[in-house]
Amino acid sequence: MNRKQLVLFNGSPRKAKTSYVFARAMKELAEEKGHKAEIIHIIEYFDEEKPFDALKSIILPQDILGLITPLYVDTLPYPVIWFLEKLACDLTDELKGKEFFAVAQCGFPDTDLLYPLLESCRYFAKTVEMKWLGGLGYGGGALIDGTPLEKLGRKGKKIFSVFSFALDDIVEGKSISPRVQDLLSIKIPRILYRPLAAFLNYRKKREAHLHGVSVADLTRRTYLESKVGRS
Amino acid sequence: MSLVILDAFTQENAIEKALKNLLEKTGKRFFYFKLNEMKILPCRSCGACEIKSPGKCVFHDDMPEIMRAIAPGSLILMLTPVRFGGYSSQLKKVLDKLMILVLPLYTVKDGHLLHPPRYGKKSLLIIGLTGENLPGEEENFRLLAARNALNLQFTHKTLLFAPTDPMAKIEEEIEGALCEVRPG
Repeated sequence: MNRKQLVLFNGSPRKAKTSYVFARAMKELAEEKGHKAEIIHIIEYFDEEKPFDALKSIILPQDILGLITPLYVDTLPYPVIWFLEKLACDLTDELKGKEFFAVAQCGFPDTDLLYPLLESCRYFAKTVEMKWLGGLGYGGGALIDGTPLEKLGRKGKKIFSVFSFALDDIVEGKSISPRVQDLLSIKIPRILYRPLAAFLNYRKKREAHLHGVSVADLTRRTYLESKVGRS
Repeated sequence: MSLVILDAFTQENAIEKALKNLLEKTGKRFFYFKLNEMKILPCRSCGACEIKSPGKCVFHDDMPEIMRAIAPGSLILMLTPVRFGGYSSQLKKVLDKLMILVLPLYTVKDGHLLHPPRYGKKSLLIIGLTGENLPGEEENFRLLAARNALNLQFTHKTLLFAPTDPMAKIEEEIEGALCEVRPG
């Protein structure tokens, strides 16, 4: 077996939430399959807790780079775009020829929402002349909210097994099979949107109430109240 | 119609020049924010702007200045280079924090589960400058802009220009788009 070396970039500013849970699962699975994997938090480089220059020596020995990220406002979060721009500017020689994949997750159970994000990852790979192995989308990440997969019962087991299938393709340098995405996709029928909206609104208002916040406060138009808006 | 311009360019370019010419000619009222000169902290997805501090980020940066212009305004114009078929980080740093333009509640409209707008309906004009982009990047950029507009429940229009486009063409298209986009 050809032992591969993977680096998994966590794109979430929240280091222990769902993207990290997914990255950790991928790392464990890669190691079980006899490969070497490590997790890097992009936010630590964005916040300058770690020097960006240090990435050169981290990336050089890697065979495969993976980005595991949440969806923010329909695409990659700001720190992730910053990171990709900087990689494309400063580390092109180090990236060229390596393999790249992405796993994206969003709160709402509709993986179609992740399409522009995953396309941006593909364009990044092409721009820096990496081999694009494909992207996987998971809808419903907010429900996981950082809970380790092993504590999620059947859902956790399913995600583990789907990631395992994806990794089998990835470590062989093959594009992730579309079948893998099909296994991960959940689609809520549109007919359920209205009861779902009602449930989510009930939950949000109850949460607000527990924090002593009224519905009037929730819907406040802060920046039209001149004094309050000018802090 | 008050106009708020979020300019994510870091270098001089024809779009910025054409827009400034046009604004001078038309005498429209506008707010111009040069984003690379502003301190905008990244969204940490802490959720405070939903409940703890509804509609307001708890981290102190220059966003309130932008929000005070956007809240009563009717048109937001975003200028950005096309990066990997999407926005540059300079524009995204603001966009990630514009979720306070919607409420933390849900509504269903035209078969989409959306957040109701906090400050009423507005229009969005997104202008991208292409570079040595790959095939398909422009389509992805347009799709992203359309998704943003849908989620904010704004009317929108997207324009894409190449660095070689003549100034007159850019001015003409921007002028046409400014007349076309109106809050729905």
